[in-house]
Amino acid sequence: MLEEKKYYLTEKGLERLKNEAKTLRDFKLMKTKGEVPKILQSEDLNPEYLSFQEDLSLVETRLADLDYILKNVELIKIPPKREQNIIGLGAMVLVEIEGKEDEFEIVGSLEANPALGRISNESPVGKMLVGHKVGDAVVVSSPLKTIYRIKKVTYLSS
Amino acid sequence: MKNVLDFFIEVGKLKTMPRRGWVINQIKDPEDIGDHIFRAAIMGWILGAEKGGLNIEKLLKMALVHDLCEIYAGDVTPYDSVLPKNKKKLRQLMKTWPRFPVFVKKGLALKKHKKESKALEKLIAKLPPKIRKEIKSLWVDYEKRLSPEGRFFHQADRMENFLQAYEYWQKYKNPPLKPWWLWAREFFDDPTLIEFTSYLEERFHGKKQKK
Repeated sequence: MLEEKKYYLTEKGLERLKNEAKTLRDFKLMKTKGEVPKILQSEDLNPEYLSFQEDLSLVETRLADLDYILKNVELIKIPPKREQNIIGLGAMVLVEIEGKEDEFEIVGSLEANPALGRISNESPVGKMLVGHKVGDAVVVSSPLKTIYRIKKVTYLSS
Repeated sequence: MKNVLDFFIEVGKLKTMPRRGWVINQIKDPEDIGDHIFRAAIMGWILGAEKGGLNIEKLLKMALVHDLCEIYAGDVTPYDSVLPKNKKKLRQLMKTWPRFPVFVKKGLALKKHKKESKALEKLIAKLPPKIRKEIKSLWVDYEKRLSPEGRFFHQADRMENFLQAYEYWQKYKNPPLKPWWLWAREFFDDPTLIEFTSYLEERFHGKKQKK
């Protein structure tokens, strides 16, 4: 069972999970009827799910996870225009760290993937940046001092 | 059983493949990929049990298979695309955490994933179908962080790297710790593992816990 929590998702992330759940449910139904499912060729689904094709228990496990997430989801809302200079969930943030620029999207834990520039709002950097605005210099000093200078904040629909 | 034996022999190669991150950091006699897998499994198990609510058997199997692909794909580091040949420049580079535009990050991640997926397919191709599917599904789960176990072990695995970095730093004053902390503060978001980093800090920097 999943940990008890709210899952923050972007609109795109929510859409992706809903599509995945629908595809897996259709797949399960076809398998139960003994039909040969072709739906896993869908572009919405990771092609590697093909490894689930003959193992219904894996599909069921993933479906249970998805259902739980979708029941506890909180959609990330874009803030009103006047608050879009402040970092919150869903913000794209351009920062300067030790003379180098980097760009992060602040997302919920489920969509986080720092290798792709998506930082969790529950990570120390994510937590620290939330609530700050352009021009702020945020200092982390434990155990090694680092300064994050916030250069730009945008939201995808802004 | 012949194919299973062939698989075991291939897996054994991980016992003599040094971890590339330590090689480029010029660590003397660095650990092998097999060494990393062993402690990552132990850490995943115990820290996972500490967190609670996880299927430990699944987590342990995931830990055992998560780097099997490296037998053929090799061990990739975030520095690979920018590595200078000059040793002095290399030492300078290792003091920083490499930063790339988002499109470059995506390209690197996709390339790595495809290479590793192909390598794993090659390795497990002749195993019995049930085991083959289980290994592939566990790896996909870990890579894509599909389940609570996949999400947790994805981070616990990196915690093993972090601990190893500290152990080498204590012994050789290398690798530089700054890039590790820059990365760690962006990477970890699991509360149990974030708490664990504070114990690393206490152990290696002598800082007292607040609680």
